[in-house]
Amino acid sequence: MIKRLSLASRLALLFAGCTAVVSLLAGVLFNHASEAHFIELDQQLLDSKLVALRSTLQGVDSAASFAEREAQLRTELNRQPDLALRITAAGKRWFDGAPDVALPTAPGLHSLQNAGTDYRVYNAPLIAGQANSPQLTLMLDITHHQHFLQRMQHLIWLTVGLSALATALLGAWAARSGLRPLRRMGEVAASVSAHSLTQRLPQQQMPAELAELAQTFNAMLGRLDDAFQRLSAFSADIAHELRTPLSNLLTQTQVILTQPRPLEEYREALHSNLEELQWMAQLVNDMLYLAKADHGLLVPKCETLALEDEVDALLEFFALLAEDGHVSLVREGTAHTTGDRGMLRRALSNLLDNALRFTPPGGEVRVRLEDGVRLSVENTGEGIPAELLPRLFDRFYRADPARREGSSEHAGLGLAITQSIVRAHGGRIFCESGVGWTRFVIELPKID
Amino acid sequence: MKLLIVEDQPKTGHYLRQGLAEAGFTTELVADGITGQHLALTGDFDLLILDVMLPGRDGWQILQAVRSAGLDIPVLFLTARDAVEDRVHGLELGADDYLVKPFAFSELLARVRSLLRRGSSTPQETALQLADLRLDLIRRRVERDGQRIDLTAKEFSLLELLLRRQGEVLPKSLIASQVWDMNFDSDTNIIEVAIRRLRLKVDDHYPNKLIHTVRGMGYVLEERLN
Repeated sequence: MIKRLSLASRLALLFAGCTAVVSLLAGVLFNHASEAHFIELDQQLLDSKLVALRSTLQGVDSAASFAEREAQLRTELNRQPDLALRITAAGKRWFDGAPDVALPTAPGLHSLQNAGTDYRVYNAPLIAGQANSPQLTLMLDITHHQHFLQRMQHLIWLTVGLSALATALLGAWAARSGLRPLRRMGEVAASVSAHSLTQRLPQQQMPAELAELAQTFNAMLGRLDDAFQRLSAFSADIAHELRTPLSNLLTQTQVILTQPRPLEEYREALHSNLEELQWMAQLVNDMLYLAKADHGLLVPKCETLALEDEVDALLEFFALLAEDGHVSLVREGTAHTTGDRGMLRRALSNLLDNALRFTPPGGEVRVRLEDGVRLSVENTGEGIPAELLPRLFDRFYRADPARREGSSEHAGLGLAITQSIVRAHGGRIFCESGVGWTRFVIELPKID
Repeated sequence: MKLLIVEDQPKTGHYLRQGLAEAGFTTELVADGITGQHLALTGDFDLLILDVMLPGRDGWQILQAVRSAGLDIPVLFLTARDAVEDRVHGLELGADDYLVKPFAFSELLARVRSLLRRGSSTPQETALQLADLRLDLIRRRVERDGQRIDLTAKEFSLLELLLRRQGEVLPKSLIASQVWDMNFDSDTNIIEVAIRRLRLKVDDHYPNKLIHTVRGMGYVLEERLN
């Protein structure tokens, strides 16, 4: 496979080609112009010589009268070494100073080459306007003109070659420096690794053509960085979450085994271990559920659901807990959708559980249903600061860090699971909060 | 009741066997698929507990062999992978139930009992009873020591479940599933609250307590004589 030319060499070659074509055109035009100019000059020169010859041969109309003037003519011609003359009358040559070649007989200016010498040949009648007048054929040696033109052509070719070469070199340099931002981009891209996702292209310093590309590239880096941060935070959180119960298990088991004890103490230790283990099993199950969601393996069934029935069933389930906490549970509105009953119940149960946990005694949790399909769970109580709202659905996120250690509750994966379920249904979930209220809203796509 | 456990991880197999034996079952444990299949086909078992990943023949293949031999033994799968396709595959092949590792032993025990009960048709009962506690299914009334106890509909269902499966430890997840139809792991303490309320009505005024908490495992209804 042929390696593709680099952009810089491609540009340099194009520059060189353009320069060559332009200088060649200029050269050809100049060559033509000077040739035309020389023809014009020769014409003028020959015209003036014709006038002089005519005056020298004034009154000549026969071979005899010509013979009288021949000496004068020769003297005249001797003074002009680059001019040769032939006089023809009625098929006879009266005078022949020209080299012995066939000359054009048509009147006017002609060019001719003979034995390495260039001539301009000019035919004209001796007496202007007379048809049977003797014909004058003037031959002007123009070799020096032709030499000039030839030198000129060499010069043109040389110029074409040299300027093409020069622009190729200059073009290569120009392209190289012009493409520097591109190379810089490549360097940044090459230096990006899992450890340096924070590097960005200087978008403002980029030329207009590359700015958009740089922006796209930076945005991609941003997304990668974000996903990577979440992932590494997730791993760190998993390790942290597991460390507490693991260390409890280790310490307790080792302490219990150091000396013989009454049976009851062993039983107690095993029970305590069991609690830690159950918490860990729950964490692992929740994480597996999320991992399944991440891999798109969470495929909801398509059942037609009357959401009010589902909500009522859940409210009945949570009723005892609400009563215990002196919180009232209310449902208003109805809505129909298609989805997975079990998954949606799980999602809603996490929201209700969450809402109940943060509602003070005497408060209220209200579930609103609207067709179209919108479902919201609102509870009274302290609001959530706006800056924390987007983080609520992060894995292991807890609004109150103090709840973290040793609690038997969800490891902070409940809302993340709810979000995964909502997304698997093609919907979205968000949280709004104000003074004295917090509302989680699920929007599901409309059913056709 | 004779159970066959086919499980290649020695520790898991050992504890399953011990737990089930102590729960009153006769158990046999094998660690590879080929012996497992042979025993499943010839051993006259009442229930099979199969791991999916096994040396020799995997759980699916054993199940296929059992079903194509025309045996209608209930089969419970244990799997470490919870992929939807696995589940669908298993159910298509004729598995009766499955449990994803890690699972609670009480959950396994409850499922095993459910599967074993399914085959035997219990006569239509009109009342359930334990000691002096009596639940009338037709009139939906509960009495203890001859005194009527008023229960809500859910409390009635909960007590009915405990009475039907008296002596069995019922995990919270099973109670949530059977009484409220909530089939997901929920670690809210709703079941605790429900049991507490039921106790308040059924047990608190009587010296002979019937509802017992088995720490870390669930709840059991039984008469414990001191």
